[in-house]
Amino acid sequence: MSVTPPASPAVTTLGSLIGGIRPRRRGREAVLLVAVGVTLVVGSLSLGSTESWLASRVPGSDVGPEAMLADAVQLAVFLGIFAAIHLAQVITGRRTDQVLLPAVALLGGIGLILMERLPQDLAGSLGGLSRTQLIWWLLAGATLGTLAIVVRSDAWLRRYKYSWAAFGIALLLLTFVLGEEVNGARLSLSVGPFSVQPSELLKVVLVVFLAGYLSEFRPLLAEGAMRLGPLRLPPLPYLVPMIAMWAIALGIVVIQRDLGAALLFFAVFLLLLFIATARWSYVVLGLLLFAAGSMLAYGLFEHVQTRVDIWLDPWSDPLGDGYQVIQALIAFARGGLIGTGLGAGLPTVGGRLPIPAVHTDFPLAALGEELGLIGVLAILGIYLVIVERGLRIAASAADEFRAILAAGLALVVGVQAFIIAAGTLKLIPLTGITLPFISYGGSSLMANAVVVGLLLAISDRGVEPPPPSTPRRLRRLAPSLRSDR
Amino acid sequence: MTGHPEGGRPLIRQGGDGRAQRGLPGPGAHPLQGGRSVGRTIVGVGLVLSLAFGTLAATAGYWQVVVSDELVQRPDNPSLVAARQNAVRGLIRDRDGEVLAGNEMGADGLPYRTYIDDTVSPVVGYASRRYGTAGLERAWDAQLTGLASGDPRRDLLRKFDPDPSDPEDLTVGLSLSLQRQAVKLLGRDRGAVVMIDARSGEVLVLASTPTYDASAIADPATSDEAFGALREDPAKPLLPRATQGLYVPGSVFKIVTAAAGLDSGAITPATTYPEQPQAEKDGLLVSGFRVRDGHHPRTGNRALDLTEATEVSCNIYYALTGLGAGGGALAATAGRFGFGSELPFELPTSVSQVTNGGGPLPGGFADDVELANAAYGQAETLATPLQMALVATTIANDGVLMAPHIVTSLTDGAGRVQRIEPSAVRRVLDVGAARAIRAAMTRAVEGDLGKAYTSGAKVPGVLTAGKSGTAELGGTGEPHSWFIGFAPADAPQVAIAVLVEKGGRGGERAAPVAGALMAAYFDTVGG
Repeated sequence: MSVTPPASPAVTTLGSLIGGIRPRRRGREAVLLVAVGVTLVVGSLSLGSTESWLASRVPGSDVGPEAMLADAVQLAVFLGIFAAIHLAQVITGRRTDQVLLPAVALLGGIGLILMERLPQDLAGSLGGLSRTQLIWWLLAGATLGTLAIVVRSDAWLRRYKYSWAAFGIALLLLTFVLGEEVNGARLSLSVGPFSVQPSELLKVVLVVFLAGYLSEFRPLLAEGAMRLGPLRLPPLPYLVPMIAMWAIALGIVVIQRDLGAALLFFAVFLLLLFIATARWSYVVLGLLLFAAGSMLAYGLFEHVQTRVDIWLDPWSDPLGDGYQVIQALIAFARGGLIGTGLGAGLPTVGGRLPIPAVHTDFPLAALGEELGLIGVLAILGIYLVIVERGLRIAASAADEFRAILAAGLALVVGVQAFIIAAGTLKLIPLTGITLPFISYGGSSLMANAVVVGLLLAISDRGVEPPPPSTPRRLRRLAPSLRSDR
Repeated sequence: MTGHPEGGRPLIRQGGDGRAQRGLPGPGAHPLQGGRSVGRTIVGVGLVLSLAFGTLAATAGYWQVVVSDELVQRPDNPSLVAARQNAVRGLIRDRDGEVLAGNEMGADGLPYRTYIDDTVSPVVGYASRRYGTAGLERAWDAQLTGLASGDPRRDLLRKFDPDPSDPEDLTVGLSLSLQRQAVKLLGRDRGAVVMIDARSGEVLVLASTPTYDASAIADPATSDEAFGALREDPAKPLLPRATQGLYVPGSVFKIVTAAAGLDSGAITPATTYPEQPQAEKDGLLVSGFRVRDGHHPRTGNRALDLTEATEVSCNIYYALTGLGAGGGALAATAGRFGFGSELPFELPTSVSQVTNGGGPLPGGFADDVELANAAYGQAETLATPLQMALVATTIANDGVLMAPHIVTSLTDGAGRVQRIEPSAVRRVLDVGAARAIRAAMTRAVEGDLGKAYTSGAKVPGVLTAGKSGTAELGGTGEPHSWFIGFAPADAPQVAIAVLVEKGGRGGERAAPVAGALMAAYFDTVGG
């Protein structure tokens, strides 16, 4: 497990910068990846054997049940992706975090096994559900690995925060104007044969912008200049971003009807604002704005009302609006403590899948049924591990931009997982977003691969140091701030 | 933890030693010095996320463990609802093999239910795609659709089955011929007949009138019209009167009072009340209120014992017995018979009561006047016909209450039969007391004076026991007509309760129904 420390980090940094390659063992990652591999092989074996047994029970079948892998080729390719990323980092001598990659591999592998287990005609234009998902994983893995290895400087993110913001808003507007409406939500853009969900990409852009913005204006935001009852608030101009963020989130709810993305963006924004300023007053103000916005949205928009009403009592319309939510809860209930086993859950009702959106919004329900409470706890635990690693990277980052960026990236994954898991478990109203790394969908996988790729890059001690801190605007504004008091 | 770049390092980096070598800003120029460090807030956010995920874990535990069973078995579980649409339900057969509920294939390719006879509808109920289920169709829905067998191990294996539906056939202890006869005897009156095998608790007849056409509800072509009309019908045919109708019991309740008196030691079979003959003339003064009763001309000035008082249905005797035993004893004994709680039965039952409760006296009686009146089945006393049949069954069975049950066996697709064995609920009173009451009830049918009231209840050639009841409802309307009894009185096989709503005197309307039906029992099932 022990890695020989470099003789001189400066030399290593220089060496890697000029292209000299010095391999470095990544023992912990290797061990964890092997453990993940074994886990997934066991899972695939369980699924394959169950399916074989089921097939042998079909009347007229003359094959007996046998122990077999569900899809050995797919599993091998999937594990190969992560082995390749691991090896690439070893060869290039990267000193990135060694826990994130195995954690992502485990979640992704569980997701892939679930996709193998679901009806293959559910979605996917490239040869079925799991085959399409695997192809997306190839792309996502390449993206993740490339970012982790190639990104040696954060200047391209740091310097152009307003450009990123503009890009994000443009993306949003584009979706408003050109987006296709699916299930009453306008979420996806068609690019050729593919449909892209811009909100997935948008969350990364948002974190990049917030990291740049918050790290620059942190001292100002942290100073309270205005008093509003018990709250100390910064000068009005600096509240604009919060109001703007709130308005954008509300706009997403109104126009895009994407409650999940709105909730995710606003929650991550508030958490990052708190990280940057340590000011409870922002959190309180943000929650007040959230409450006001929620009530406004509930009062004005039918799709919000429907969601909340289903949440409060799905049994008021068990065959209509509440159907999926109830089916998900019943799936959890059927799973019990230890689950039915992979492949043995989700009894189809009249040849119909009880949870139509099981591959996108409700994978946790299917996993809860087949892996039981134990499986659900394990999956939740892995997300927490990813968050913990991300926050650890943030806490030990070289400067605030990187700290907030890393924290934001980790939180995007953690909060998104929380929102959809809580929706599936009827803890909060259901909002249609994906379960990171597990749900089916290219946009989601790609965006989350970018998130982890960036996190790994930031975690590398060998990356280019941040520029010296010269907050010009701070110096310009600071005197006026003082005179305000 | 060793060997990892982040492993074991402090959360806040204070400018490592590598930094100076690389020409990075030293601790003094560290960017984090501009304000409070973000490290602490990051830890805070980490804690918030951990808490949030902890809540998720607890919620998952709630759904998957705490309420798991309840959720899966909900009758409105949509997967059950949907599966039911396709499931060909198991058959329901009577004790002679007659198919009471069968299936027909609809034009839409979905099966629907057909029922042989209107007379069994209040028991068998219906299963309709639109209007859900009732009766046995509801109580045994899981078995009839075959989506759950109640056997956890078989249900676990069934999860692996591509076609999880494995309907089971039900066999019930009902006799279609007796049921038909009971409905015929009730005629156009509203009422109920409950006949139970006194030894096993098997229900032979559970008739309620008016009946209804369950096939019309189950047939998708006619269900809307049929169900709408039945719901509007003022005669309330959808109310299963035998199990859910609550009626003032009148004198049939005296059997409960007798049990309470004997059980509490307030009376023996030989107990007499010297004041009773006079009180029949002047009324019995209870707390300043006079409880009145007619006087039987042929008893003269004799003070009656338990048997004689039962034979002529003496209200004064029973009022005194109730007062002697006390409200607590009366309520407790009635409770052991089943009053005060839902009966242990497959179908939903209304709760019979001795009193409304809440009064200051033991047992919840308001005062002694209420207690005295309740003791002969008036005041606030209410009972279902099933409850009164259980009173008769318990006396016939030497004081042991057998669990009443309709379904006697289940047969699965492979022909395996699962029998439902008779079971005792509890001993209500000791054998001696039960025998004493049995003797009194026998006199009430067979005795010289009793015959005058209940001659119709006598089964020709069989020693018969029973008690009639004429429940005054106040006002000018006809009283409810009751009879409970059993036969043969010396070795009881069958017990019965008959209620005819506003049918007049018990001995005139209800008793002959009971007699004819018990006679039919000995002709067909029994003997």
